[in-house]
Amino acid sequence: MTVFKTFWQVVKKYKATVILYTVLLIGFGGLNMATNDTGATFTDSKPDLFIINEDKGNILSDNLVKYLKENTNIKDITNDEDKINDAIFYRDVNYVIYIPKNYSEDVLNDKNPEIKIKSTGDYQSSLAEMMLNRYLSIQSTYLTTSNDSKVIIEKINDTLSKKTTIEVASKLDTTATSNATNYFNFASYSIMAAIIFIICLVLSSFHEKSVNKRTIISSKNYRILNRELLLSSLVYSFLVWIFYCALSIIMVGDILLSLRGIIYMINCLIFTFTSLTIALLISTLVNNKDAVSGIVNVVALGSAFLCGAFVPAEWLPESVLTIAHALPAYWYINSNELLKSIEVIDMSSLHPIIINSIVLIGFGIVFIIINNVVTRHKRNILKKI
Amino acid sequence: MFWHNFKYSFKVLARNRMLLFWTFAFPIILGLFFNMAFSDIEKSETLDIIDIAIINNEYYQDNEIYKSTFDTLSDKENEDQLFNITVTDKDSAKKLLEDDKITGILTLTEEGPNILVNQSGINETILRYVVDEISSIVEISNTLFEDKVKEELMSGNNKIDYETLYKEIVELVSNSETNIKNVSNDNLSYTMIEYYTLIAMSCLYGGMIAMFITNYKLANMNSIGKRTSISPIHKGSMLLGSLIASYIVQLIGLAILFLFTIFVIKVDYGTKLLPIILLALVGSLAGLTLGVAVATLIKSNENTKTGVLLAITMTGCFLSGMMGITMKYIIDKNVPIINWLNPASMITDGLYSLYYYDTFDRYIFNIISLLLFSLLMFIISYHGLRREKYDSI
Repeated sequence: MTVFKTFWQVVKKYKATVILYTVLLIGFGGLNMATNDTGATFTDSKPDLFIINEDKGNILSDNLVKYLKENTNIKDITNDEDKINDAIFYRDVNYVIYIPKNYSEDVLNDKNPEIKIKSTGDYQSSLAEMMLNRYLSIQSTYLTTSNDSKVIIEKINDTLSKKTTIEVASKLDTTATSNATNYFNFASYSIMAAIIFIICLVLSSFHEKSVNKRTIISSKNYRILNRELLLSSLVYSFLVWIFYCALSIIMVGDILLSLRGIIYMINCLIFTFTSLTIALLISTLVNNKDAVSGIVNVVALGSAFLCGAFVPAEWLPESVLTIAHALPAYWYINSNELLKSIEVIDMSSLHPIIINSIVLIGFGIVFIIINNVVTRHKRNILKKI
Repeated sequence: MFWHNFKYSFKVLARNRMLLFWTFAFPIILGLFFNMAFSDIEKSETLDIIDIAIINNEYYQDNEIYKSTFDTLSDKENEDQLFNITVTDKDSAKKLLEDDKITGILTLTEEGPNILVNQSGINETILRYVVDEISSIVEISNTLFEDKVKEELMSGNNKIDYETLYKEIVELVSNSETNIKNVSNDNLSYTMIEYYTLIAMSCLYGGMIAMFITNYKLANMNSIGKRTSISPIHKGSMLLGSLIASYIVQLIGLAILFLFTIFVIKVDYGTKLLPIILLALVGSLAGLTLGVAVATLIKSNENTKTGVLLAITMTGCFLSGMMGITMKYIIDKNVPIINWLNPASMITDGLYSLYYYDTFDRYIFNIISLLLFSLLMFIISYHGLRREKYDSI
């Protein structure tokens, strides 16, 4: 019991770190939660726009602005060139349209006035450009038939009001499950960091030279000591897992109180186990407390960045994903991604997830074996001394 | 004595492996991670070719306008290729949609076009817009054609070449000119901000070096501090020697980071080399004075001091966009004063303004703000360090 109690005393000392990783999880997990429900009806994507209309009060330009207002989100920015440039750079708006002075008059006089735009060059801006282009070409077509701006805009609006019918095939709504996947993906970082950091620090406190010497000469059998340390680490990891699972239900919602949710959590438990074996291995290899925080950061951040915990795996370059196969987090995150879109949970759909779990457990076993080999090697060296 | 102290401070710093890891290696490792994670993000945001299926029925085969437009839009040699089209029967199209291989299915019916998709999204919206556009071309052409025919008949012309007339009108409608000019700045790669915050972090991490070396001069920190405090040497010159040594170590680390980001992960800093170097020098100075100020103000052990310094640095980096670049924009837009006081933000903003803007106004503001910050930290440290007396240690 002494060892067990001491373990928790040391854990208590470093609780601020666990809180930090949890806050990160809540913060970033919360930011990534999508709230819009994609139901059975289709909603158009709307690019973010900013319009500078220097031709206000004229019927042609006002109608253009009206059309854009209906089909895009008009952002509220101060009309200042630097502010607009910043907004474009940080993707606050996708597209900026400058309608010049005398635009309406020039259009009617067939001068084809130039419209300046600024664009981020992404999907949304391409969509905005399509809208603008379509409007302008319809306008110029009707200009060949009439010179009365009222007639023209009436015809334009009539043409634009006709929309193609679009239906959404009934498929699984992935909003809730993708929230769960995002949460558990990010949790891979928090779990790994919280487990490796704390266990390495605690164990290195036990391995400190003066402490170690005292325990060696004490009547306590070192096997029992080691067993108690291992048990405490197991209990600690288990508590971390329970804590993050409870948090997931609070944050993601009752979608997790289902078979799918249980599979998410089992997957997470297996990953927690693998993280624990990594932590034990690192604590055997490194006994320097100062070095622990460096190693934790590199290992946890590295696997989070490379395996898709922060940036979704679909956006990662192929080469990075190939490297990521060598890391446990990749298999864990892969299972989460699969769970997002599985429609019917049965043996055949779970097959790839089971394989991922086996790989994860395999990683754990390999780490345990390496750990044993290293420990034995170290003990032999000690005996020789 | 100055040189003696300078030399030994340099040696002490060069041998502290943990310190060198955090100030030299860690930013480089983080940069490597950033590069691996972010290098494809912007590419994935630009308009890609959209896979769709069109049901092969008589309405599609008979509709010249639809067919020719989709042929052009899916032409692989066309620079503006937008679609990759599979013309197929209903069942295989549905299978493709179920497997998420295509964005949507277009069916032409008697009542008009109809689209089936899996979800609402940007690709789906683009598909709808294109179909809308084609149907309006069809519609306008038809109305214009009818008008024209009526007109001709009214004027007594009975010999109309309907086919040529229709073709002419379609040509006119689909090729109507628009006059749009793109005036955006060239450098629009926003992931660069991530690397700029990395430089800012590295500048401020230099504060750890300065703090470490300042602790050697404080009698309440360690025995070397006690010895230096009672030695009959002018404290100012001794501290100056140490700080210059730490500044140089810091700049070496920063130079390595710059070289790494430029040549290995190809970060674009723009073309203005000298202003960038000046910014790095001033930014490092801000980091250094911050480190000295924390070392002087916080009367506690080394771990607490490091904790405080790291907390300040990381909060600064967070606010300047390291964990999500929108953060910096949100603060710039709503409460800019926070970023004016935040050295990490000013360094990031300085690099950003050199990359994105042609004018120097913003850059000069950043430099002045950093210099003021350094001056303030210097004054604070100066008051904390001079004429120290201890009743007991």
